[in-house]
Amino acid sequence: MTVRSWILTIVLLAPAALLLAFGPQGTRPRPGGRTVIRYWDKWTGVEGAAMQRIVDRFNATVGAEHNVWVDYNALGDVDKRMLIAAAGGDPPDIAGIFDRYVPTYADRGALLPLEEFVAQAGIPLADFKPIWLDICRYDGRLYALPSTPYTIALFYNRRLFREAGLDPDRPPQTTAELIDYAVRLTKFDPSKKDRITQLGFTLSPAMLGWWHWIWPYFFDGSLWDGQRATIDAPATHAAMQWIQDFRNRVGNEAALRFEASCGAIDSAQNPFLNGSLAMVFQGPWLANWARVYAPELDYGVAAFPSVTTERRHVFASEDVFVIPRGAKHIHEAMIFLSFALRQDTLEELCREHGKTSPFLKPGPDFFRLHQNPKIRIFDELASSPLAFGYPPMPTFSEAWTETLYMVETVLRASRPAAEAIRMTQTKVSQVVRQYDEMSSRRRAGKQQ
Amino acid sequence: MARRSNNLLAGLLWTAPWWLGFLLLLALPLAFSLYISFCDYPMLQPPLWVGGANYAELVHDGVFHKTISNTAVFAAVSVPLTTVVAIGLALLLNLSVKGQAFFRACIFVPTIVPMVAAGAIWMWMLNPDFGPIANLMRAMGVDRPPLWLDSPDWAMGALVLVSLWFVGSPVVIYLAGLQEIPEELYEAARMDGASAPRRFWHVTLPSLSPVVLFNVIISVIGAWQVFALPYMMWRTRPGPDRATYFYSMYLFDNAFNYLKMGYASALAWIQLLIILVLTGLVFLVSRRMVHYRAA
Repeated sequence: MTVRSWILTIVLLAPAALLLAFGPQGTRPRPGGRTVIRYWDKWTGVEGAAMQRIVDRFNATVGAEHNVWVDYNALGDVDKRMLIAAAGGDPPDIAGIFDRYVPTYADRGALLPLEEFVAQAGIPLADFKPIWLDICRYDGRLYALPSTPYTIALFYNRRLFREAGLDPDRPPQTTAELIDYAVRLTKFDPSKKDRITQLGFTLSPAMLGWWHWIWPYFFDGSLWDGQRATIDAPATHAAMQWIQDFRNRVGNEAALRFEASCGAIDSAQNPFLNGSLAMVFQGPWLANWARVYAPELDYGVAAFPSVTTERRHVFASEDVFVIPRGAKHIHEAMIFLSFALRQDTLEELCREHGKTSPFLKPGPDFFRLHQNPKIRIFDELASSPLAFGYPPMPTFSEAWTETLYMVETVLRASRPAAEAIRMTQTKVSQVVRQYDEMSSRRRAGKQQ
Repeated sequence: MARRSNNLLAGLLWTAPWWLGFLLLLALPLAFSLYISFCDYPMLQPPLWVGGANYAELVHDGVFHKTISNTAVFAAVSVPLTTVVAIGLALLLNLSVKGQAFFRACIFVPTIVPMVAAGAIWMWMLNPDFGPIANLMRAMGVDRPPLWLDSPDWAMGALVLVSLWFVGSPVVIYLAGLQEIPEELYEAARMDGASAPRRFWHVTLPSLSPVVLFNVIISVIGAWQVFALPYMMWRTRPGPDRATYFYSMYLFDNAFNYLKMGYASALAWIQLLIILVLTGLVFLVSRRMVHYRAA
């Protein structure tokens, strides 16, 4: 290279070097000498700000005492990013993920079992409601810790109940009664009899978030017995029949048209919030949207009906903290988690997120300061002996997709329900079998 | 000798951004992807060699068959349709009329709208209750406009319609091609008494054929990789009866939702093979149909 080339190279590289040295450095200065804990979670906006306040408080108090600094990063698709980082050998020290991923990741060895660390950190697990810890366990071991839990209930519009001649203090008690109520609450355009102007209840996956797979549970069934998929079972047939009965009574085409025109659930076009949907299966956050978009809405909340009044099933779910395998600062991560899991701290977070308390005995201020007037109901539902979480399947993602296909097929009546159920069972069983075969081969490989 | 080696060093250094990028970001991942297509690789555990099991599984995978058929139908409809519409629009935009630049901008501007935003706009446009298309159809006497996005019969058609939104890019290329056609050819055809359709058939189309070939190949590749629009418009769902579940969506689901990176890699290699075969076929057919001007 000539001198001229060297000079040209230096001139071209200098701006990049200067940018690296003196460019943007991040908005939160880190005190030198502290061990930095990388904490990734999915929360942004108001939820992220609530977590950031807790992190800031930790950094200013306990973190300073123990020479630990928590660096909170809000990331979309945190589960996928954690996965890729773990595969690359550089996972965060703490990650906040959805509970449904715990079995998948735990079974593949991506999460650290936490019992020993929890005992060392002195986190009082006995203070938590059992369901929230059950959800964190897989195959008998604790792989996660509760962060913000919730139950799902039936929201109903009390004004529409009154207008339909129904008692607003007596929501439906069984799945059969729910259909009867829903039919009575459905109204049609007087000029066009096939156009629904008010729907009693919806099963549209677009309105129900992530729970299209759930209906067999309210018929005393499940999708998973711990070893194999149990989709093609009487409970699923009963659930799909229930869906078809309801759709036939209000008119499937009309219901599809109504659902296709509904706006996003977190907007003013949410049909429950604008009064065109009388009942909906939703979580406590619906109250937050109601406060913003429909402050005058007169609604009630009750346990979602099951097939009988004797056995009322309740779906419970939560966001969780996990420590990915390969995390570099486990001890320091546990210092932060034991701070975050203190009752006052965690309940502050749950309150700000509009969720329930994970504790057996919620603190005195929890309900008083909570913005959701119905939060007690959600909290009580979590104590139900029939509370259940996501099926602890390592292959749940595929079961999720396949059951979505099953429910959509039934909703559109594009195949007989029995055929849709059988196809779903076949596909999920095949997935489980293949997964088990691979797991066996891996175990055999390790033993050799 | 020393000067030659210095030149080689300088050459390598200055081209380093390209060959380093090619090596690290393309060649190595390609090789790794080929390797893991013969493995079970959930990312969280090391790859486990399974031979051709992933490829064998594809034969029995009904969802794979469905996505192949959906993608093939989409490509078979959208590629010819896009080609015809783009050539038609290019011909119109090539006319010297008042406001020509404005019309050209109108056709091209939609292509710079991000795919996700376009998906959101079209979800509103196609809403069966309050969407402008439904309102227009009602005004024309159609009492019950189709459930565009929620009916297995209409969903594919809706997506093809939406994909025409991005026709601006090929139009610009066709327009450039049209402007390259020598005026003498048209003059000679006129002198021979050729009518406008004959001039189009015997002058415009043959002269434009290399551009058509280029656009068709690009469209075939794009159609077999369709992802963002259906992923956005059906809110990550496979659509009614999996009617809008395409190859790349299934590949993505296997890789990142089901943690089956080995199976997803096998899907990716099959996808590459399909695209290569189709491109080869297009080249084969084009031998007799594409006319290159002598230099």
